[in-house]
Amino acid sequence: MSVNLHTERADPAPPPPGPGRHHSRSSRRFWSQMDLKATPYFLISPYFILFAIFGLFPLVFTLWVSLQDYGLAGGDASFTGLKNYTKLLADADFWNAVINTVGIFALATVPQLFLALMLANALNKRLRGRLFFRLGVLLPLVTSVVAVAIVFTQLYGRDFGLFNWLLGFLGVDHHIDWQSAKWSSWTAIASMVDWRWTGYNAIIYLAGMQTIPRDLYEAASIDGASSRRQFWSITLPMIRPTIIFTVFVSTIGGLTLFAEPVMFASNRMDGGATGQFQTIAMYIVEQGFRNFDYGYAAAAAWLLFILILLGVGINYTFVRRIGGSK
Amino acid sequence: MTAITRVRPAGRARGDGKRDPFRATPLTKIALGFTVLLSAFPIYWMIIIASRTNSDAVDVPPPLLPGGNLGENVQRVLNTEDAHFLTGLLNSLIVTSTVTVSVVIISTFAGFAFARLHFRGRNLLLGSILLTMMVPLQQMGIVPLYQLMVSLGWVGTLKAVILPYLLNGFGVFMMTQYTDQAVPEELVEAARVDGASTLRIWWNVILPAVRPGMAVLALQTFMLNWNEFMWPMIVLTPENPTVQVSISFLTAAHTTDYVLIFTGTALSVLPLIVVFVAFGRQIVGGLMEGAVKA
Amino acid sequence: MMNNMRRGRMLAVASVMTAALGITTACSSSDTGSSSSPAPAETITLTLQTFGGGTNFGYKSAVEKWNAEHPNVQVKYNNLTDSFENVYWPQMLQWLQSGTGAGDVVGVDEGGMGLAKARPQFFTDLGQYGLQSRQADFPAWKWENGLNSEGKLFALGTDVGGMSICYRTDLFKKAGLPTDRDEVSKLWSGGWDDFVKAGQDFQAKVKDAKFVDSINTIYNVVLSQEAAKNGNVTYFDKNQQLIVDKNPAVKTAFDFSSKISQAGLTAKLQNFTDPWSTGFVKSQFATLGCPGWMLGVVSGTAGDRFKGKWDVATVPGGGGNWGGSWLAVPKQSKHPKQAAELLNFLTSPEGQLMAFKEGGNLPSSIPAQDNPGLQSATNAYFSDAPIGKIFGPSIKSLQPTFLGEKHAQVKREVEQVLNGMDQGSVPYGQAWQKFIEAGQKAAG
Repeated sequence: MSVNLHTERADPAPPPPGPGRHHSRSSRRFWSQMDLKATPYFLISPYFILFAIFGLFPLVFTLWVSLQDYGLAGGDASFTGLKNYTKLLADADFWNAVINTVGIFALATVPQLFLALMLANALNKRLRGRLFFRLGVLLPLVTSVVAVAIVFTQLYGRDFGLFNWLLGFLGVDHHIDWQSAKWSSWTAIASMVDWRWTGYNAIIYLAGMQTIPRDLYEAASIDGASSRRQFWSITLPMIRPTIIFTVFVSTIGGLTLFAEPVMFASNRMDGGATGQFQTIAMYIVEQGFRNFDYGYAAAAAWLLFILILLGVGINYTFVRRIGGSK
Repeated sequence: MTAITRVRPAGRARGDGKRDPFRATPLTKIALGFTVLLSAFPIYWMIIIASRTNSDAVDVPPPLLPGGNLGENVQRVLNTEDAHFLTGLLNSLIVTSTVTVSVVIISTFAGFAFARLHFRGRNLLLGSILLTMMVPLQQMGIVPLYQLMVSLGWVGTLKAVILPYLLNGFGVFMMTQYTDQAVPEELVEAARVDGASTLRIWWNVILPAVRPGMAVLALQTFMLNWNEFMWPMIVLTPENPTVQVSISFLTAAHTTDYVLIFTGTALSVLPLIVVFVAFGRQIVGGLMEGAVKA
Repeated sequence: MMNNMRRGRMLAVASVMTAALGITTACSSSDTGSSSSPAPAETITLTLQTFGGGTNFGYKSAVEKWNAEHPNVQVKYNNLTDSFENVYWPQMLQWLQSGTGAGDVVGVDEGGMGLAKARPQFFTDLGQYGLQSRQADFPAWKWENGLNSEGKLFALGTDVGGMSICYRTDLFKKAGLPTDRDEVSKLWSGGWDDFVKAGQDFQAKVKDAKFVDSINTIYNVVLSQEAAKNGNVTYFDKNQQLIVDKNPAVKTAFDFSSKISQAGLTAKLQNFTDPWSTGFVKSQFATLGCPGWMLGVVSGTAGDRFKGKWDVATVPGGGGNWGGSWLAVPKQSKHPKQAAELLNFLTSPEGQLMAFKEGGNLPSSIPAQDNPGLQSATNAYFSDAPIGKIFGPSIKSLQPTFLGEKHAQVKREVEQVLNGMDQGSVPYGQAWQKFIEAGQKAAG
């Protein structure tokens, strides 16, 4: 999926003069001029009108709300300027949520995209039952996030979960309390994300791989390049745009992670006793809708946005280097 | 849909024997088979628990085969009044369908304009859409959107979970790319020469050509919206939930009733699985085509 | 291009979606129809929202009786969640604020009353419906806590806490401890240190179960006892000032909880969570602190399989009062008159006795407390324990604990530190400091 805007395309503005037929040539021309000039705006207007109401307004208004201090549940609000931001930047719980979010994101995304690449490479081979395998790896996508979280949370149960039972065979005798530590809760949540999205990303990569001309590989084979070598020097660079796209989507999804950790914490927003797996989205909801500090939640939302911009930027520059620069 | 032809790896490599880099080794097959098993297991597990009893659900060793209580458990979910499960299912269908239709139409319109029409500020506007794709609207806007819904008196209504989702920057972007690939510039110009108005061109030329893209976008939007959780959880009430919210209330109110929760969960993914089984080939083909065209 | 069959299916999807859209418009128009005020003869439905595990408020039989007697006013009884501070109360506050979502009659735990009193805009004035007449039914403190900051009556009391220890006779037997309730009570009649000693004896013999359920249950038991010795305050003094770091009651309760956790006697299951509830079914612990309402949590959660395996003993360290709730009618109720009538019935001596019978919730209403049936009541689930005799004498002398406006907020946060300490994510040495900080932060 190339992020190609066609920005270079010049506007060949002059419209072909319409062959006027019988009557009222000028009025017809007027309408056709109007059509050419105005209709494009008419066509894009639904998007921009809705965006103004449900996108731009909340965005701007969030800024205003973030400058207010709200009393607990129905208490009064007062203007406090940047106090929410300064307080937030010094709030260890907020930074804890940031670290958790970034940590879970890294733990989920890196193996996920790597596995997806391997999987796509395997699916790209000639094999029987191709559709079956493709549908098989996509299956997790059609479950719901909440369902995944419920099932995995039960599987990760401390005393009666399947995973601890299986670990017992590997010699892990004590029952791991998955929720109670950072490493274990992050792993559990990352596994939910990975289970759901790896197959999807593999299919996207597969699509990219199939646009690569086969001749390239044949030529490389004749030159004696191993298939691993071919993967690194042909496949990877050729699907770089696709990788950029998936990284982009995973970054936004990962930094706004919510449903999985919430269900993992039995519907609570605190992410464990010491906030081991509280993500920023949970933190925002906790501040806004559990402690009713709307201003503080709004300030956190703005910082989340900045984090996403940073994340997308960093990942973009990083992924651009994959397979050498072009 | 050229994806179909592309899906088949080039046949002419077949004769090359050992040096064919596209030959699947046994290891590849085993790895793929294992992945499919892993993908299916949690769904299988859901069915195991949904068809058993609560004491089975916390047994060690865990049960590995389905039991015989599925029918009874489904009955129990439907009879659990406070879960409003059927309301949730119907609501989700309403919300998701409305959103899907809206996103597809808005995106097709805008995609046509951006890909094939010439107007002032086009690149700037398209660029702004691309930028807004990075804004996590549900998190960013959660507080003001909620306050907006409160002041409109829309908390607890479906309007509150439909309206903010009617637009989708990704959809516009995708349809722009798709239209650009699927509709030759000359076709549009030829129609112009014939005196067709812009809307007529959209109807007669664009719409037939981008229909596959619309279908892909529709499927993706449907699946994405069906999963929406954070905003519905905040703005809806237990009496009038979407299916995800209904399940989350179910888990809160019936903590130890694993069977009830799992059966509800299984029922909630059933519509998606049905769609997946019926349109599996199209979904895979569509995803792949969308991935390379857009 | 796609082949015809595929196109056909895609169109089918599209038409299903369009059909669903049709439903939208149909539904939304019927929605507006039903929200207009109903004709008097029409059946109205009241929603009763409560919280708590097991049998929670114990209103099943009372609601059935009401529904049988009031064919035109049907009640839906929704217990929303086990957990008051973590799930129920924040959600309820959000609904109260937004004007939608709260039921017609809602339960409020003692921990939420401070805030509920301070927000007169949330609840209906019950005086309008003549419920001032109920004053003589209640002890003064229970009644006064139902008056809001404007002096209006907005809530009536349901139950009171009281305190006992519930224990599993079969597990005690396995550990070689006495099983008879009088002997068990004697086992720790010397106070909490005896209790810990009994726990260590228990743990020496039994490996697959722990002596107590969770750190925060035992903490609340001790806190309720200590509060009575320290001016009946916990986290806030009566001027709404945070005293979490200064109140000796809090420190004593904290230290004891820490001790029992370090002794390895807890099952490390946070109360009112799924794993805790599962712990009842899987016999993961042998005792837990039991205010009256907890009896119903135990019987409702553990289920019939464990009937007769539980019993009730007296609590070490003297009486205490943990929990107890009120009912209120949110302003947003569309049928406040009928809601007030329902509230009146549920909090009446009759309603309270029905709840006592169903779940063990101890009545706050004086006539119900004086009812001879209550004094002689036994509980079949708990091996026919004479709960009337165990709780009866103490309920009249219970001391009300003052709880601040932000009590629920602070309780939620400090108990998280306790759980973290019990489960190992907060080192014992740092826990008290963290505990105070969490309290200060929550009090904002």
